[in-house]
Amino acid sequence: MFRIVATIGILLFLSPLIEGILRKFKALVHSRIGPPLLQPYWDILKLLGKDDVRSPHALLGPLPSWLALAALLAAGLLVPLGTASAFAGGDLFLFLYLVGFASVCTMLAGMDSGSPYAFLGAGREMMTSFVVEPVLFVALITAALKSHSFRFADMAFFQQVSGTSVSMVISGAALLLAIQAQLSKLPFDIPEAEGELMGGVFAEMSGPTFAMYRWGFIVKQVVFALVLTQIFFPWPLGLTGLWAVIAQIVKVLLVAVAVGLVDAVNPRLRIDQAVVYYFGVVLMALVGLVFALVGA
Amino acid sequence: MTKQDIVQLLKAQLGKGYIKHSEPIPGQVWVEIRPEASVPAAELLHRRTSARYLVSVGSDERELKDRFGVYHLFSFDKQHFFVTLDVSADARKPRLPSITPVIAGANWSEREIRDLLGVEFDGHPDPRRLVLSDDWPQGVHPLRRDFDYSAKPPARPENAYPFKDNPPGTTVVAMGPYFPVFEEATYFRLYVEGEKVVDVDYRGFYAHRGIEKLGDAKLTYNQVPFIAERICGICGFVHNVSFCKLVEHASGIAVPRRADYIRVIMLELERIHSHALWLGVAGHIIGFDTVLMQTWRMREPIMWLCEKITGNRKTYGMNLIGGVRRDIPKSLVPEIRKKVQAMDKEWRAVLDAVKNDTTLRMRLEKVGILTKDQSHEWAAVGPVARAADLDMDARKDHPYCSYDAIDFKVITADSNDVWGRTIVRILETIESFKIVYQSLDALMELPEGDIITEIRDEIPGGRIAISAVEAPRGEDVHFLLTGGDNRPYRWRVRCPTYPNLPTVQVMVKGEQVADVPIILGSIDPCFSCTERMEVCDVGTGKVRIYSQEELFNWTAKSR
Repeated sequence: MFRIVATIGILLFLSPLIEGILRKFKALVHSRIGPPLLQPYWDILKLLGKDDVRSPHALLGPLPSWLALAALLAAGLLVPLGTASAFAGGDLFLFLYLVGFASVCTMLAGMDSGSPYAFLGAGREMMTSFVVEPVLFVALITAALKSHSFRFADMAFFQQVSGTSVSMVISGAALLLAIQAQLSKLPFDIPEAEGELMGGVFAEMSGPTFAMYRWGFIVKQVVFALVLTQIFFPWPLGLTGLWAVIAQIVKVLLVAVAVGLVDAVNPRLRIDQAVVYYFGVVLMALVGLVFALVGA
Repeated sequence: MTKQDIVQLLKAQLGKGYIKHSEPIPGQVWVEIRPEASVPAAELLHRRTSARYLVSVGSDERELKDRFGVYHLFSFDKQHFFVTLDVSADARKPRLPSITPVIAGANWSEREIRDLLGVEFDGHPDPRRLVLSDDWPQGVHPLRRDFDYSAKPPARPENAYPFKDNPPGTTVVAMGPYFPVFEEATYFRLYVEGEKVVDVDYRGFYAHRGIEKLGDAKLTYNQVPFIAERICGICGFVHNVSFCKLVEHASGIAVPRRADYIRVIMLELERIHSHALWLGVAGHIIGFDTVLMQTWRMREPIMWLCEKITGNRKTYGMNLIGGVRRDIPKSLVPEIRKKVQAMDKEWRAVLDAVKNDTTLRMRLEKVGILTKDQSHEWAAVGPVARAADLDMDARKDHPYCSYDAIDFKVITADSNDVWGRTIVRILETIESFKIVYQSLDALMELPEGDIITEIRDEIPGGRIAISAVEAPRGEDVHFLLTGGDNRPYRWRVRCPTYPNLPTVQVMVKGEQVADVPIILGSIDPCFSCTERMEVCDVGTGKVRIYSQEELFNWTAKSR
């Protein structure tokens, strides 16, 4: 129980700091000073204190936003933080369902708002999911095949015990490429596309509802970085206790910075171009799977 | 084809429709024709000669000649002269045949003349309102001489703008009137099927300021340059020079050579910072904020330089008819050269980075196609036309100031797309650096202090002139009919966005929604350069406009 509460606490209250560091990093690339490190916290606080203005066409109310955040937190519980998962019972299928559920909530809320921008954004989110979710799925299946278990805990420690393999490296790389789109970062922030859709699915969101989505998004960033580093890049091996936690934080930061750097030096792609790109990434993940099947 | 050939051709083809021709200013030919000959004459020039349509100007000349004058302006770029078709419309029932069916680019001009002067154009394919607001009463034409410049007719809200009907199976996606990536008000109504743009409709002119009316009714020749500069917040100096050139043409004033070079330096510094601004905005539109931040960082020293030379980072207030107000001392020349060289060096790095960026190319190549023929048809100007392989640049075609003595290239591209426009602008900026260096050399040789010609005689009325100045966004055309009371009788400004904006409707059809902002961005649009803050109390309906000083104090406080 303590582990669960602690993990949720860490995900909720430390993730915005990662986001803050990311914004500072982006500002560095831009030759800007950038917002204060704690700005993401103030953003969330400010949104929580605002009126929740909703489109008169909306039927769903604020529920999907809370569900999206809850689902992402639950998904976070499955991923090993430090040396063990907070919740040892879950497997990769539960994880995929939870992550998928969160994005369905976002899409539904977008379509529900009745705004044409949100509607286009939801359509783009769906198209992105169709090509990006398979990457996540295939990569995790590859890891499961190698470790002969669907549990994250077993998958995470597999490489520590039996060393790396071709299939894991390929799948890890494919997942790294998919994270950019999973996190709606440039060049794949297409569903939000401030330039033409004014925030897309979020065009009509405000106040606490919007705060939940933003917060969920910030948590998602950390959860995905954890999945990637814990399962596919577990090095340096054999750390325990505090050292393991520090290494973990550094690795999550490294992933965040890598994602941030790609985000800063690319323009937004069109949805058709992104889909073509991700077909390639799906193929790459499948190649990883084939290697795993033949035992490499 | 020489001027004589054109006149002979018009005479021969129009028969009785031809009245007479004159050339009051060298290089500006006026051909008076009868109304029924205007369509054949326009078609003849547009299709069978190398003429390029510029704009049509309407003028209320009931006091002078008991008529409404409509002037169709054409430019013969490679032959370096203008030809104007001068048509009269009846003073009481002004009606003329529309030339839009033969020249698509005349669409806006004719609608504007109809709105502002009440001249009807028979056969116009789209006779909706263009300039007047939705609640402006029917039959009130603000540019007529008997309409007071400050009059406010009662609002008639029933004249709502009729948009096109949805094509079957499409939904409307509105871009504007205010939209994150457009600074100013414009409304593109997109009819989309999924992500594809099937059709588009436009409504604009939300912030029409009536500057021409002020020039005709309120200001004097010496005041207009300062108002003209406020037409655009980025390329204002261009309008200023255009107007001064008009009056100098019409009254035969010679400008000192040093003033010419100072004008050229300011025009080119303006082009440099405008293109840097554009590249940044274009990057921002497609989400590439690093480009925005870096190009604007490079641009800032140029703005400071402008402030050092003129006293203002923008809206310099440098020009007067006959010359400039401030000299550039020889002692300042080395610093200008150093700052421009520093930007020059960084800009070449930008060129390399942009050229080699594959993701950027994916977004910009083969997007927003405007072919050479379409460009000619819609009378597009500037980088839009030059990216469609049309070699036109007012600096070469109708040399003004000291451009005739300066060595530079006109950059063109043949890819017809957003990518071409981007590369044209980047390379053009490099040419601007060269022009600045040459002009600085000239400043070192010319004696200091000789910067303005004093005007002793009054400027006579009834004279007509055209001037074309190459703005960063394209060719800026001004038209002047002088009045007797120390102010223009009719002053017409055709900024480069005016012919370029309608081409967006051609370019976006069949493209994806995601491409629309960058296609619009690729013409470097400039709608009114008006920014102000108005706070409306919903309860009481009271409106308060915040002054520049109040806004400035807020910014100062938040620093």
